[in-house]
Amino acid sequence: MSSVSLRGYSVVRAGRASFLLHRRSALAAGGLLVALAATVVASLCLGESTVSPGEVVKVVLGQPSPDELVVGEFRLPRVVVGLLVGAALGLAGALIQTVARNPLASPDVVGVTWGATATVVGLMAYGVVGSTGEAPYAAVGGGLVAGLLVYALAWRRGLHAQRFVLIGIGISVALSSLTSVFLTKGDGFQAQAAKVWMTGSLNGAGFDQAGWLAWVLLAALPVALWAARAQRSISFDDATAVGLGLRLDRIRLGMALLGIVLASCAAGAAGPVDFVALMAPQIALRLARSAQVPLLCSALTGALVVVLADLIARRLLAPTELPVGVVTGMVGAPYLMWLLIRSRRGGS
Amino acid sequence: MSAPRLEARGLTLAYEARTVVEDLDVRIPDGRVTVIVGPNACGKSTLLRALGRLLKPVRGSVLLDGEELARIPTRRIAQRLGLLPQSPTAPEGISVADLVSRGRQPHQSWWQQWSPEDEAAVAEALERTSTAELAERSMDELSGGQRQRAWIAMALAQGTDILLLDEPTTYLDIAHQVEVLDLVRRLNVERGRTVVAVLHDLNQAARYADHLVAMRDGRVVAQGAPGEVVTAELVREVFGLESVVVPDPVTGTPLVVPGAPWAATVEPVDA
Repeated sequence: MSSVSLRGYSVVRAGRASFLLHRRSALAAGGLLVALAATVVASLCLGESTVSPGEVVKVVLGQPSPDELVVGEFRLPRVVVGLLVGAALGLAGALIQTVARNPLASPDVVGVTWGATATVVGLMAYGVVGSTGEAPYAAVGGGLVAGLLVYALAWRRGLHAQRFVLIGIGISVALSSLTSVFLTKGDGFQAQAAKVWMTGSLNGAGFDQAGWLAWVLLAALPVALWAARAQRSISFDDATAVGLGLRLDRIRLGMALLGIVLASCAAGAAGPVDFVALMAPQIALRLARSAQVPLLCSALTGALVVVLADLIARRLLAPTELPVGVVTGMVGAPYLMWLLIRSRRGGS
Repeated sequence: MSAPRLEARGLTLAYEARTVVEDLDVRIPDGRVTVIVGPNACGKSTLLRALGRLLKPVRGSVLLDGEELARIPTRRIAQRLGLLPQSPTAPEGISVADLVSRGRQPHQSWWQQWSPEDEAAVAEALERTSTAELAERSMDELSGGQRQRAWIAMALAQGTDILLLDEPTTYLDIAHQVEVLDLVRRLNVERGRTVVAVLHDLNQAARYADHLVAMRDGRVVAQGAPGEVVTAELVREVFGLESVVVPDPVTGTPLVVPGAPWAATVEPVDA
């Protein structure tokens, strides 16, 4: 009997158990982790006062340090929230792109982000929601409702991938118009606050946001791992996927639901941070050179992009702090374009 | 004759409100090659989709091993019945070996992602379809015929006794058509697999089928061995075409030669 060499995979066997490891994905994940750790440390070092990496590590490990206040109280919460928001967006983008079979799909496109935005802006502009305190709940609710509505409308004897994207775009446009109405008709001062929220900002982010986002991500992880296996057949056309024994409707609903929840929660924690969910999976795909969007690498890429973008947002025009949402596009887009130009892969 | 492993009873199939197949009975003989033929839009692909649980019947049922298809978990169906749709799409940049290995999905689980059985099945599938030397290549680089062999290899790796093929020769030139059909025939003879294929070329169907199912307007017009079924009357009834049926000079199976072609009314030269 001849053996098969699966190009790019390593097989790990333990007794009757066996695992397929995509080497390049593992390598990319490792590299992203290192880059993320370095960016996090740099983020904690740099600011109005510069702290040495040694002191930063001490603070993170909970050892006494003279820089405890600056690093531990001011900078760390913001970095952690940025990391979690980025990871949630990256993972959400990867899931939605898998379900829609479309590299241009993302929570921003399928209505989730605008659902969150319209809800929060509406409630803020009319003074129902005071400020950032209750905004997360409104964002999560609005994002979920909009995302599920798009999913339901795209249903036609099963989820129709193209309808999913097209209806998402339609609903997004409607919701963005609605948001403009809220901004112009609402109370001036409140509307201004809503506008700031809309740019997607980590300014003043605290651990109270990080806590629940971390729990959501932790809960999402096993589901994502389960989804990663299904991805091996879901990346075919519908008929082939079903032929391979995939319960397509159920798995798509599960993945879409998870993506919608994650994106809504990210919007709740930091407002709509543009472009991360669209770009992170595509960057991760090209780093991992896998046949389908890699879920874990997408999450890590998202985290890296947001933490890096926030560092730039804080320092570029210091002491003025830019909203992170303004910078994510500036950081990620050129890199994605470079990857696109360099790689032989098309965009489809 | 005992009940075949795959059969349809009183099957009515529809897309939305449009009924495509009505009250159809068909028995798929075990270990044989069954070919479904008929004009465009006669419901042959629709029937195949229903046999492969891709389309839910409006009425009637498809039975696999005597059990209603709709009641069997899709994964368990996938362990017994493989299918290759008309134009399957693979993820971009995937290698042939990676593609074929995914045929093992219904036999794998969380903790068994690549067992020795998986490896053996994939190796055999690559071997049988002569795609072993292409294993490392990317699907995008292959010719149409090579790609189709890779897809068949994937369906083979699935290790099912029954294989459904929807127009497996579409988009292939004649040499590759013959290559793919020879491969299918060989799999049937050497491995005893039950094959159900939709073909639009009646002559190819007559050559490769043990059992022919001729359809028109969602009904079965005739079924049986090609030698008995394919006649000029049948061709007229099914396709609305005048023809002469002669023995195939190579295989002896019926060969349908269409009636005189239209020609401009030019006086023959020697007249």
